[in-house]
Amino acid sequence: MDESRRILEHPILGVTEEKRIVHFQYDGKDMTGYEGEPIASALRAAGVMVHRHTKKRDEPRGIFCAIGRCTDCVMIVDGKPNIRTCITPLKEGMQIQTQYGVTAKTN
Amino acid sequence: MKRYDLVIVGAGPAGLSAAIEAAKNGLNVVVYDENSKPGGQLFKQIHKFFGSKEHKAKIRGFKIGEELLEEADKLGVEVVLNAIVLGLHPEKELTIKVEEEVIHVKGDTVIIATGAAENMVTFRGWTLPGVIGAGAAQTMMNLNKVRPGDKVLMLGTGNVGLVVSYQLLQAGCEVVALVDAAPRVGGYGVHAAKVARTGVPFYLSHTIIEAEGKDHVTGVVIGEVDANWNIIPGSEKHFDVDTICMAVGLSPMSQLLKSAGCKIVEDPKKGGVVPEIDELGQTSIPGVYAAGDVSGIEEASSAMIEGRIAGAAASEYLGYITKEELEEKIKVNESALDALRQGMFAPKNRGKLLEKTEEGVDISMNLLKKGYLLEEEVEKYPGVTKQKGVHPVIECTQNIPCNPCQDSCPKGCIMVGKNITSLPVVDTEKQCIGCGMCVASCSGQSIFLVDEEFEEGYASITMPYEFLPLPKVGDKGVALDRSGAKVCEAEVVDVRKAPVFDHTNLLTIKVPVEMSMKARFFKN
Amino acid sequence: MVKVNDRMRDIGEFIPAKDDDILICRCEEITKGEIRRAVHDGIFTMEEMRRYLRNGMGLCQGQTCGKLVKNIMAKELKISPLELEPETSRAPMRPIEMEIYAKDGGNV
Repeated sequence: MDESRRILEHPILGVTEEKRIVHFQYDGKDMTGYEGEPIASALRAAGVMVHRHTKKRDEPRGIFCAIGRCTDCVMIVDGKPNIRTCITPLKEGMQIQTQYGVTAKTN
Repeated sequence: MKRYDLVIVGAGPAGLSAAIEAAKNGLNVVVYDENSKPGGQLFKQIHKFFGSKEHKAKIRGFKIGEELLEEADKLGVEVVLNAIVLGLHPEKELTIKVEEEVIHVKGDTVIIATGAAENMVTFRGWTLPGVIGAGAAQTMMNLNKVRPGDKVLMLGTGNVGLVVSYQLLQAGCEVVALVDAAPRVGGYGVHAAKVARTGVPFYLSHTIIEAEGKDHVTGVVIGEVDANWNIIPGSEKHFDVDTICMAVGLSPMSQLLKSAGCKIVEDPKKGGVVPEIDELGQTSIPGVYAAGDVSGIEEASSAMIEGRIAGAAASEYLGYITKEELEEKIKVNESALDALRQGMFAPKNRGKLLEKTEEGVDISMNLLKKGYLLEEEVEKYPGVTKQKGVHPVIECTQNIPCNPCQDSCPKGCIMVGKNITSLPVVDTEKQCIGCGMCVASCSGQSIFLVDEEFEEGYASITMPYEFLPLPKVGDKGVALDRSGAKVCEAEVVDVRKAPVFDHTNLLTIKVPVEMSMKARFFKN
Repeated sequence: MVKVNDRMRDIGEFIPAKDDDILICRCEEITKGEIRRAVHDGIFTMEEMRRYLRNGMGLCQGQTCGKLVKNIMAKELKISPLELEPETSRAPMRPIEMEIYAKDGGNV
């Protein structure tokens, strides 16, 4: 797992406790993250910035508020659209897809 | 329908404090919160709080959160998480989404402590991934332990913008600039100074013109604004960044109260639309109270007191305590609240430009424009003295409600006095022993120990240091001045860590004696 | 507060601006230009604007854009934002799946 964006030791919060590593799929690619961390957090650590493309203007969106308010980070999780990835815990085997409008890309 | 003496919406500092107060008085209390973790924003606050002992000063926000949760738990307060309050209806009935169903509960009293939402500003590219709220940055780095970006530009110099910039530095991010359309730094000067001395430039009277990038942010262009907020042509500056962070204020989340029919007012001094409340926090609906940011944007310290007052008021409303007992509780809490609402950042002074401190000393305009004090300004303040041997130099230059430095000195060298917004005074009659307790206790990191007789031709400077890696004795590097500019070579001569310092390490460097009032930061 | 009769007031022509294409409502993708033009079409209150353009009616329920829309409308109407009444708040305060909302058991 790429840990370059993770804070392993913090001057105030100390050493980050180790969590169980889980495997998930992002647009068909195999990835890993920590169990129970927000999906958005695992994606950010893996370098993923774009969570969805908007319906009208097809513009990219990603994390904005990170507390479940703005709904900009929604993705398709295990087939369900509009899942706020910033507050949804990551689980083993999750299928996470970029959302286009309210669906996954169809072609 | 389940019925409670008190239903609280929001498990942040106000909601939890209200729950604790009410549960102590014997009320059967439930707290609902839409988040998966309680504590509101407290667990993202890793800096030491201001105020005095009664406000939990010099304790870090997340520790205060832990204390509140523990106390609420001991008192048997029921905290329901992932619970989304959908509506507050007549007869104090609430509809709440818990898991996959909507439940109804009734509170004989209700306290709304839903907090605030972040404001945003728009510019070209503001919807690009990489443009985030300051709260998002805090969530990502302090809770989820993921750096929001490598190179960050911060918009907003209020306390949130300043504190989050510092936290970004602590998380190992580079902060390329702090930008604010206002002509002056909005937050505490001490928060600005601790960011500025690490070398982060401040651009006041500047705003973001454009976030660049196709799929995500790759750069940003800022420009200077004139008196009419128009960009001055030719003032554009470009920065390579992957993250733009917005800290442009908060708005009370008062929609629930409004939907319930509480009288509301729009008050810019309180941050927006707020319920009309009396001195107990009671809204126009008897038995429905508001506490914390939802009734006006302030610090978490104030929210906790407002919560306690509302909790006591609900207790009296239901007859669990007498009117006299309530009055007694209010007296204590109101004086604590009053102490926090004094000084140059008091709600009543918002938007005013004060030119002198309460003591009559000129307020540093450089601090307000650039984020740091000039050397010639520093010497005017009562915390800055010239003495033989080691002594504290307190670069605290604004009247803010805070006094842990006074209590920290075992020798009584530091005096703030009865009024906690007074500038600290260093008593030159008392002998400093260089213990460094004051340096670690200052929530604003504005205290240094200076010894101009450290060695022939050399002075030592002890500074608070909250970064990693922590330099080691013998490390050689450069000393930076208050603006973050390199001023001389420096060598680390002492590094002190102690549980009592609570992660504020004391770094002592040796510099040529003529640099004793210039050098304020160290870089390897 | 803006009165219905105020609609007789002349607020001048709609003048296109460079930043009209900037999004204000992120969820429903409503631009500054659309909001400004709607004011000139006679939409003088926040409540009507939401129904007219659907700004603030998306997933986040106007959490981010509420204040922004208010300021844009006030500027166009040449009044203080304080004179514009905020939009109505009503339950449900947050988006909720119909499936769950419909299952409401009432007084259990």
